[in-house]
Amino acid sequence: MIFRALDKKDIDAILVGGACVSIYTKNKYQSFDLDFVTHSAMKEVAAALSEFGFQRKSSRHFSRDDCPFFVEFVAPPAAIGSEPVRDKIALRTKRGTIILLTPTDSVKDRLAAYYHWNDPQALEQALMVAFAQKTDLSEVKRWSLKEGHAEKCRVFMKMMKTGVNYGRR
Amino acid sequence: MLEGLFGNITIEKILFTLFVYGEGYPLGMAKTFGVAVNRFQQQLKRLEDAGIVASKLIGRVRVYALNPRYPFLAELKTLLEKAYEFLPEKEKEAYYRRRTRPRRTGKPQ
Repeated sequence: MIFRALDKKDIDAILVGGACVSIYTKNKYQSFDLDFVTHSAMKEVAAALSEFGFQRKSSRHFSRDDCPFFVEFVAPPAAIGSEPVRDKIALRTKRGTIILLTPTDSVKDRLAAYYHWNDPQALEQALMVAFAQKTDLSEVKRWSLKEGHAEKCRVFMKMMKTGVNYGRR
Repeated sequence: MLEGLFGNITIEKILFTLFVYGEGYPLGMAKTFGVAVNRFQQQLKRLEDAGIVASKLIGRVRVYALNPRYPFLAELKTLLEKAYEFLPEKEKEAYYRRRTRPRRTGKPQ
């Protein structure tokens, strides 16, 4: 619905963060945060979403009374660590097309939270996506080393090998 | 010094504080600089909305740090490091050389 609202006003956006994990793991992990990145002005986004009943709650947050999701437009650019997001996926659904991170970028996105904030849930989410979807692990490794997190990358790769609780492919 | 670039002097003070100490909170900054706390709160919110700083609640205090996931963090730090060199010694002494090492409970401050 959000994408339909944005598309109607010709606003490009990409879904990032935990919502991508929900999609890629078929809700094995459920996120109630819908984080988007757009380069369009928030005024335009607010106008587009208001047509669908979403109210602007603060500078970048939107909600609707009957919708359990918290919609946020995080500040651009869309980036994974210090690199821009280069690829995106257009996922066609019965209710419209969703533009989101690739599975590999979704893994990197979650790992960034684990690397920088020691967030164990983010590590778990990265593993869930990596087990559920085809992921380019050599790219994950390249990016991790560039970000300066070789040690934590080793932890992730080791858990990929053992992966007891994350539904090995 | 970077006021022209950042738009106001409060942002400069916030960024130098976070660069030097690694983290900070609005009341602490207000006390350090003798400026109203709401001015820091407003500008920290602006920086947080832009993804430049990130915050977390520790007890009842919201503590801010430069956002490690900000894509231009390395470049921002380089700029702050360079600009910090040019700060007058008096200013560094007054605002950016606070004791940060631990001090055991019970010892006089």
